[in-house]
Amino acid sequence: MPLDDDAVAEIYREHGPMLRRVVWRATSDANRVDDIVQEVILRVWKQAPEAENLRAYLITTARHLIVDQYRAAGRRPQQAQLVDVAEQDSALDRALDQVLVEEALGRLQANHREIVRHLYYERLSIAETSERVGVPEGTVKSRAYYAVRNLRVILDEMGVNR
Amino acid sequence: MNTGSDDVHVLLGAYVLGGLSDEDHRTYSEHLRTCGPCQAELGQVSGLPRLLDLAGPEGGPHLTDGPAAAPEPLSTEQGDARVTTLLGEVARRRRLRRVWLTALAAAAAVIFFAGGALLGPSLVATSTPTPVASATQAAAHVAVVAVPGSSVRIDVALVKRGWGTQLDIDCEDMPTNGELALWVIDAKGKATTAASWRATAAGYSRVTGATALNPNEIQTLEVRTGTGKVLASART
Repeated sequence: MPLDDDAVAEIYREHGPMLRRVVWRATSDANRVDDIVQEVILRVWKQAPEAENLRAYLITTARHLIVDQYRAAGRRPQQAQLVDVAEQDSALDRALDQVLVEEALGRLQANHREIVRHLYYERLSIAETSERVGVPEGTVKSRAYYAVRNLRVILDEMGVNR
Repeated sequence: MNTGSDDVHVLLGAYVLGGLSDEDHRTYSEHLRTCGPCQAELGQVSGLPRLLDLAGPEGGPHLTDGPAAAPEPLSTEQGDARVTTLLGEVARRRRLRRVWLTALAAAAAVIFFAGGALLGPSLVATSTPTPVASATQAAAHVAVVAVPGSSVRIDVALVKRGWGTQLDIDCEDMPTNGELALWVIDAKGKATTAASWRATAAGYSRVTGATALNPNEIQTLEVRTGTGKVLASART
């Protein structure tokens, strides 16, 4: 059915590049990226082509696939003795969250991202940021407000609910 | 707190990210004590610093200047090639699915003819089972196969939702009176009604049902009459 082909191609075009980035950075295994992304899209297409939050569903599916593969692909025995499974999974979850947070920052509007960088990562004050960016302090405050709100929305869309 | 409250509540952003002057910090903290909406809003975003910390001291590749660790770019041809591969895989899986359904239909026919032989050939003309093999539309369509002695044609589309599964039921050649119901049965054999409707004179209806089960938790679908007689069933 052309219907299927269109749906799959559309999911790939819209979400493929983001999924590739996430999977590539979470697995650091260039050879498996395409396989995993393909499998994620096919699964989601089969199970929930009309899911309300497709992006979150794709990412959750990718998360499960990566965890499964990670478990299957030879955990070294001495490692297994030292680290229990739950701990290892939560480390992997953190790694994935890290990738997703970075991805979310990338999706943030540039002038909001700039504010997050100065205020949060560079620990600048409102006054310093205002000077650095060249906008009034009031603008820095309102951009910080919208940056925080939008970041929350973007993360929610990716299924990062913490 | 009407005057300037717009100005006050935007301070939430820098309250979470940092950078407020002592005076603004004090103003916002005081405002927060009495402002319900701001408390709620803060609750939604207070987890952000912990998440932002995950991206490392500099916030990751999108925040550092220069091309740095930007993920490998994908040329258009590469992208197109990947879509082609993907569609090839779709076609392959579709063939697999079709084979499975045909096998199911064949099995049903065998059961039917075995029954027909016992009941005598006169029934055959009026009650040929006609399973619908239209399971090729966007995802999880299930053709519910008519049981021997029934000629109904039913197609159920399983649509995964946040709350469970939406069941779009398309049926033809149904009984023309009485009540009908779609039952979903999980792996433990627990059966629940996901939809019930009244038969129509035309024998045709399109209804939508719902179940809290996820698509992969549904083991069997059955369409039954009001008296509990199974008209058709399918294993998903």
